[in-house]
Amino acid sequence: MLRILMTDNRKILILNELDNIAVCLVNMEVGEVIRQDALNLTIQNRIPRGHKVATKAIAKDDGIIKYGERMGHATSDIKIGEHVHTHNVLGDRLSTEQVNMEQKN
Amino acid sequence: MSKQLTAFARADERWGLRNHVLILPLHSALSATARKIADESDGAVAVSHDWSGEVDGDFDRIIKTFSGFAANPNNYATVFITIGTPGELLIIDLAKKLGINKAEVLNVAELGSMSKIAGAGLKIANSLVKEAKAQSRISAPWSAIALGQECGGSDALSGITANPALGVASDRLVELGAASVLGETTEILGAEHLLAARAITPEIGAQIIETVARYERSINYEGIDMRGAQPSRGNIEGGLTTLEEKSLGAAKKAGSAQFSGVLEYADQVPKSGLYFMDTPGHDTEQLTGFAAGGINVVVFTTGRGTPTGSAIMPTIKLATNTTMASAIPDLIDLNAGTIADGIKTLAEVGGELFDLILAVANGQITKAERGLHHEFSLSRMYNTVIK
Repeated sequence: MLRILMTDNRKILILNELDNIAVCLVNMEVGEVIRQDALNLTIQNRIPRGHKVATKAIAKDDGIIKYGERMGHATSDIKIGEHVHTHNVLGDRLSTEQVNMEQKN
Repeated sequence: MSKQLTAFARADERWGLRNHVLILPLHSALSATARKIADESDGAVAVSHDWSGEVDGDFDRIIKTFSGFAANPNNYATVFITIGTPGELLIIDLAKKLGINKAEVLNVAELGSMSKIAGAGLKIANSLVKEAKAQSRISAPWSAIALGQECGGSDALSGITANPALGVASDRLVELGAASVLGETTEILGAEHLLAARAITPEIGAQIIETVARYERSINYEGIDMRGAQPSRGNIEGGLTTLEEKSLGAAKKAGSAQFSGVLEYADQVPKSGLYFMDTPGHDTEQLTGFAAGGINVVVFTTGRGTPTGSAIMPTIKLATNTTMASAIPDLIDLNAGTIADGIKTLAEVGGELFDLILAVANGQITKAERGLHHEFSLSRMYNTVIK
């Protein structure tokens, strides 16, 4: 079963202990500090409710882990507390466009 | 609340969770008459559609859909209205082979005018409704439940609240001996390796992978970039970043049970176990395929409050977030948003959903049934050819 960890302030959800991201349950403002147990992060950008924040430092090309599974990879280095979304993450699955191009080459 | 399941007994150890009288037009031009009969009757239901007997690439798929829908165990009886083309007669034959409980046929060619059809149809419908109301539920085994899993209007909380809560309820039902079916091939793209790893045999795992690969080949052929379409713009605004992420969340509906098999669209669902059915992402086409496969109750998780339902399958709406659930209480049966609010645990909401599925199976009316959401859509793979 899915093991969900919610911070006492009900702002952050960690879906699996292997994850390097967490889900924000409220809008997060720059500079906000979330500190509980092993979790210690300072919010680096405004992050909307429902979006992801890095809970560990993620190097370029490293996997983004959610639910304990790989959901894509980082396209740049991501600091703890940074917004994790389409600007710094790409899915691993090749797009159809890429598949078609590879077939032509 | 009683944990005892009761249902309507059918032949071949099949069970109905409802006792509908379905008026089924077998040609698009008969849809209005079918609707008129149902509306004027004492409680029969009808569906409308756009098939006019085309014999093309989708013929087998459409015949299978109609015959399975007619033979769904939630139907006490089906009244077919037909103009008598070979395809229509094939549907009636196949429905009988699938163990339809009771079939009546109104043939336009024999009865002549539409008013005669409507008059005869109303008389038959009312007498069947009377019979259906006289039938009592009896104690039924858990295998009487065939649960369909559906999600529509996903948001960032779908994979955290409603989908895993459905997974908890599905796991419990499967363990007790019920059948449960995950669909929507589009929505497992990127998570299929995880589902395949849960198959009871390597062959079934390979089938899951191949079903998704087949779908991917077909969209490649059409030149569609799935990464452009999924996650959708709305999903991205909500916080979903990649296709894999959306699929990982969608797959949570199927809990953690092992997969006992892969079904083609509208294939008959076995009595027990967790299955994957190859259905389109289109909500109504998927629900119609589920009904044609004999599924008799659905849990539909939604982030936006999609109203879609079925004429014959009770469809339970499980909200992913409290904001939406509070805004449209007339569409939502249960709110899983409480998990993200920190008010309830996943196990608690999963337990509440299990109890609700049982109550609905025992006859409690869902919001979609009360709202008469009787949507029906045929799933097509090819261009329609008129001959």
